[in-house]
Amino acid sequence: MDFPGALMPAYFGAGPPREGVGPAPAAGWGEHGQVLEVLPRRRQANTSFMPRRGRKGENWAPADTAAVPLLPPNAGCWIPLLTPQDIIHHGILHKKLWQGKSGATLDFTKQLSHFFVDHPEDAFGTLGQLLHQNFYLGNSKLRKQARESTIRMTALMEEIDRLDARRGCLRQHLVPRLRWFSHLCRDWLFEVPLNLLADSVHEELLLQWANLFFDDSPTGGALAWLPPEDVGARMGRLVYPGGQALNHLYFQDVVLEDLPYAQGSPVQFELNGRIRQVAAACADGEDFVGIRSDYHCGVWRVPGRMRAAPTPLQVIHTNVPASCLTVSPHLPGELSVCTQSGTVYLWNIEAGLQRLRRDPQTMFFRDHSPWRWSDFTAHPRVLSYADRTGLQCLDSRDPERCRFDLFKVGEEASCQQGERVVLPMYLGKANPFHHLVTTQFSVYVLDERLPMVPVLKWEHMMKAPPLFAHLTPGGPGRSHKVLLGTSYTQELLLLQYQGGSQSACQLVGPPQKLHSIASCLQHLPTQLPHHHRLLQQRLGAPAAGLAAVLHEDQMQESLLVFQLSEAGDVFCQRLTHEVTQPPQHPVPVSGDKAAAAPGSSPLPAAILRYRRWLKALSSCCREHPQPPTFSQKRLFTCKELKEPAEPSALHQRARQQLRQAMQEGGCIQRWDILTAQTPPVPQPLESAEDPDALSARLTAAWSGDWGQWWEERSSFNMVQRQRALRERRRRQKRAQGRRSLSASFTSSLTYQSELSELSDAGPSLPLSPATLPQEPGSPPPSPVPHEALLSSQSLQCRGIPKERRKMLRDYLSVCVEGYPNLLEPSSSQPSIPLSQSQTCISLSQSHHPVPSSQSQPSITVSQSQTSSLQSRRKRPRMGF
Amino acid sequence: SSHEHKTNFKKSKEACLSYIQDAMLQKQWKRAAEFLTYYVESLEKDFSRERLNPSEIIWRIGSEILCHHSASSMKEFNSFIEQMKTLAVKRYLKVCLEHAFHLLCNGLIDEAYQNLSLAESWRFGEQTLLQDKEMKLIQAYRGLLDYCSWSKQKNILLHSQDGFDNLPVEQEMHSYFRKAALSLKEIIRIPGVWDPFVKCYVDLLEFYGDHNEARQVLNEYAYNSKFPANPNAHVYLYQFLKRHGESKKSLISVLKILHDIVPSHELMIDFNTMLQKSKKRKNQRLALEVIFAALDYAGWKENVKAWSCLARQIKQIVISEKHLDWIKQEWDTRKDWWPAFHFSRYLAKRNWQENESLSYEKALVAGILLGKDCKYFKYLSHQGCKAQLKKFRILKKFVNKHNPAYLRISG
Repeated sequence: MDFPGALMPAYFGAGPPREGVGPAPAAGWGEHGQVLEVLPRRRQANTSFMPRRGRKGENWAPADTAAVPLLPPNAGCWIPLLTPQDIIHHGILHKKLWQGKSGATLDFTKQLSHFFVDHPEDAFGTLGQLLHQNFYLGNSKLRKQARESTIRMTALMEEIDRLDARRGCLRQHLVPRLRWFSHLCRDWLFEVPLNLLADSVHEELLLQWANLFFDDSPTGGALAWLPPEDVGARMGRLVYPGGQALNHLYFQDVVLEDLPYAQGSPVQFELNGRIRQVAAACADGEDFVGIRSDYHCGVWRVPGRMRAAPTPLQVIHTNVPASCLTVSPHLPGELSVCTQSGTVYLWNIEAGLQRLRRDPQTMFFRDHSPWRWSDFTAHPRVLSYADRTGLQCLDSRDPERCRFDLFKVGEEASCQQGERVVLPMYLGKANPFHHLVTTQFSVYVLDERLPMVPVLKWEHMMKAPPLFAHLTPGGPGRSHKVLLGTSYTQELLLLQYQGGSQSACQLVGPPQKLHSIASCLQHLPTQLPHHHRLLQQRLGAPAAGLAAVLHEDQMQESLLVFQLSEAGDVFCQRLTHEVTQPPQHPVPVSGDKAAAAPGSSPLPAAILRYRRWLKALSSCCREHPQPPTFSQKRLFTCKELKEPAEPSALHQRARQQLRQAMQEGGCIQRWDILTAQTPPVPQPLESAEDPDALSARLTAAWSGDWGQWWEERSSFNMVQRQRALRERRRRQKRAQGRRSLSASFTSSLTYQSELSELSDAGPSLPLSPATLPQEPGSPPPSPVPHEALLSSQSLQCRGIPKERRKMLRDYLSVCVEGYPNLLEPSSSQPSIPLSQSQTCISLSQSHHPVPSSQSQPSITVSQSQTSSLQSRRKRPRMGF
Repeated sequence: SSHEHKTNFKKSKEACLSYIQDAMLQKQWKRAAEFLTYYVESLEKDFSRERLNPSEIIWRIGSEILCHHSASSMKEFNSFIEQMKTLAVKRYLKVCLEHAFHLLCNGLIDEAYQNLSLAESWRFGEQTLLQDKEMKLIQAYRGLLDYCSWSKQKNILLHSQDGFDNLPVEQEMHSYFRKAALSLKEIIRIPGVWDPFVKCYVDLLEFYGDHNEARQVLNEYAYNSKFPANPNAHVYLYQFLKRHGESKKSLISVLKILHDIVPSHELMIDFNTMLQKSKKRKNQRLALEVIFAALDYAGWKENVKAWSCLARQIKQIVISEKHLDWIKQEWDTRKDWWPAFHFSRYLAKRNWQENESLSYEKALVAGILLGKDCKYFKYLSHQGCKAQLKKFRILKKFVNKHNPAYLRISG
């Protein structure tokens, strides 16, 4: 293999990388870089020049409008990925605390409590067993003897529940009992000392958080294509991970056609961990496939002839996670393994492991990343070794002394500050001396014979660092195709380069973006919104691997690109090589491609694929249990849930109306108008017996006052009710002298129940009643003369006992204060205060302002009403 | 509010840029051009003082689009770049250099020359380090073009019938020489990869007979430790010395250094032959080392020349039965991986099918190094005898006869 007779001019300087502006938006465009004189073939010919970048390349056009599924969706419920929301603190309190400050807070307590709940045995196993007799969880009181050695935990649990419910509440006070308990047992209750555990959880949380930004574990990709032995064959093998945790290894025969398809069922191996990387190389006519998971690496042999079963050869176990596994293209059964923290091994199936280097420090300058990589070079005994700061070559025969620097993040390769090596790859199939190095900004091609000076450099402008790369070598006179892929953003970029032996390296043709997996979403049939979202999530899963194969069929060359997502789905797309006839007049060959324009529809065969894939996805999703729903039992007691003995008149009427609406084929919305017109108001006709909470709620909802009802239940008007109760209490105390014993007893009882009702009001849900729809056709609330209602006669005629009348009056007067227009003349019984939604808006308005755009129209109404009623407010009491 | 307006403006600008990028990456140049016009319009209303200079973005994207757009012409490209030169003052030299490159690649050498000489005379404030480097490159490329003109004139003179009559042409040629030599000399002093410039400069010096200077330049280029380890530098020096009939010893010493830095260089074959011809035992020993080292590399696996060099030397040593220990020493470090790397049964089959002469040379080496029972040799001698090839029959006899040599090498 020759070395180019002349290289492109370049400055060479040693030292740290120069200060850069970071990823510049268009840095890769419009540059030729350098030019080199091409030696004229004939003596008299004019001198011509070739650029380092910008020469016309081969024209590869996408054949489809989007990526097409190659295999059925990965069965097994896909566990959605960690999102920032999962580990960031998002309480109201914290939002306030951190307002103006940048930087997220990780929700450490939540994760710790998850651990306690999910792994109680690991958290409290021993002491839990020892002490379980001393903790009592029942509701009943403890007997006297037991009380000496047993604590009743129920109250404590309630406190904890309440604490949770009040999270974010500004008036949250520390509960002394909880404080006392935690002080008492912090030191001995935990299986793992709390400090230690907290440190570990915190560390893990930080790691996960860092991984959200950049996760280097899938570097290299977990997808490999094994080409058939004879070049002309149309079938090859795809190696990919699958299963619930991507812990199954599949070898699938794939037939190459316009739309490649799988043939037969795959050979499957179940592994002991999530497959991070699948590396493959052909040596001596046989394919060797290396599999890397965090703590295990394995190697399989796949015989060259088709349909021969792959055989597992060896597995190694590492104490630290392995970060790299590459297979030698030179010698059969040889691999290189790197572990985090800097150990490189040459792994030979027969000779075992040979440690080449062990150095926790990075090579050229200090970098915290434990990521290491290693690959093979042109010399079978020399391995490249990489960390984030650069690449070195080590001779395995004498790794201590025989080494040289191949690439360094520094001025030598005119790197930018902050630039780091992301993925090195040996390009042996294109040129035995070439290596690819990608960083988050640029892509480099290096020649081993000229270390430190990249023979090619281009700023790739990708949004995320390219973690996957694939080389499709071109024959003599053709360009080598390099595919770069990113994980989170699913970007795919096709670059072409040529030269390196006869002439200097050149980047040819413009870079080309290929379809991402997520791009096929727009071509799928329309889905229900929540299905669409799930699908979006599934298709948008980060990419996990990349493979490609050049396929020739009836003079039509096509490049098939396979993509694997972290959900375990494999998609493919085809690019066709458009051979242009040498143009008579200089017309640029790369015109605008209409095929790639958005809006065009995919081929019918692809549509069929999409449908089949969707169907399979929905069927494999259905096998899994539905997401948990709220149990009603926890919201209501059994008694509350019990249906009334016979349907009330209101129910009957409602049913009748419903039936009528159905017969007429009308819509139920008409009800509102109906109620406004013919029957005065569907009044909540209470049954004689005391209404239970459910009925009351349903009744309220029925008559459209549900918001009001909620308002009343919730804590918004707690203050007012408390005030009212206090007032009543005071009056009761005053009147105690002329009261009968029974009356005072009942009143105090009601007070108790009122209080408990208040405290039962539960957490304030973020549902704002102000947003509840207001009935358009409801009659305007009429001011009501309360005196008539509150007079003793009227109360008497309603059959209310004498001793209760005063209390009722008190109560009602208070209610009127809070709900000025609740009493309606037609109301047969002043039971639970009902009110119009306007009031409820005005109240909510006074307590916490809602977005003005929503409640603007109703405010005016409510304000006018309250003001008109305010004058009347005190009259009932005065009349009394 | 003005802040909101600013952020919205920024956002829409970024969105526009990403649309342009997207269109370009899908080769939709027309669409990209449309978006670029919007982008440029938006910049007219941009009064924010951002660190990132938008003029560079426009220059880069614009010239890329114009390179590929079906309706663009050289004239349009030139006028666009002229505008860019005034817009992007800080990047003026870079824009000029790239413009010249574009002209050169399209064969417009005179225009490129004008552009470069114009850029050379540009002065704007204090030059940054980057601008200084760009200026030097501009001068060097201008020098290169001067050299091209010089070379053209030289050819005219050499091919004209009446030797020294053409005085004006000669004078012009000399002036080109002076201009070229001056600027080329300047850049090759700075550490870097300057292959085309060094070649031209040495050619100029050689023509005017300044061999000492040429040798000094080449020595500096090859051996100055501040320069990268460029194999071409050694190659140029070797070729220069060879042209001027230097002694074998000095040639060998140059190639020895090349062998130390790039054992896989294609000149190693020449080196091996040169060493084999030498009478010194030390050199013959080195020859064996050189050829073994070259064949270690994957790129040499199927190099018939190299295999025949090795086969010839091994044959010589085996026949003379002297220095079998040399082979043994070389083989000791390779015997654990060469059999799988070079002499597997799979390779025997493939070599036989693809390249018979290669398989013959390799079979000889395999027969000596691994004995007559090795897979590679056995397969090939069988195939060769089946195909009734005389040389394979002789080979079989030779290996059988010298099997004791194998025993000594492997023992």
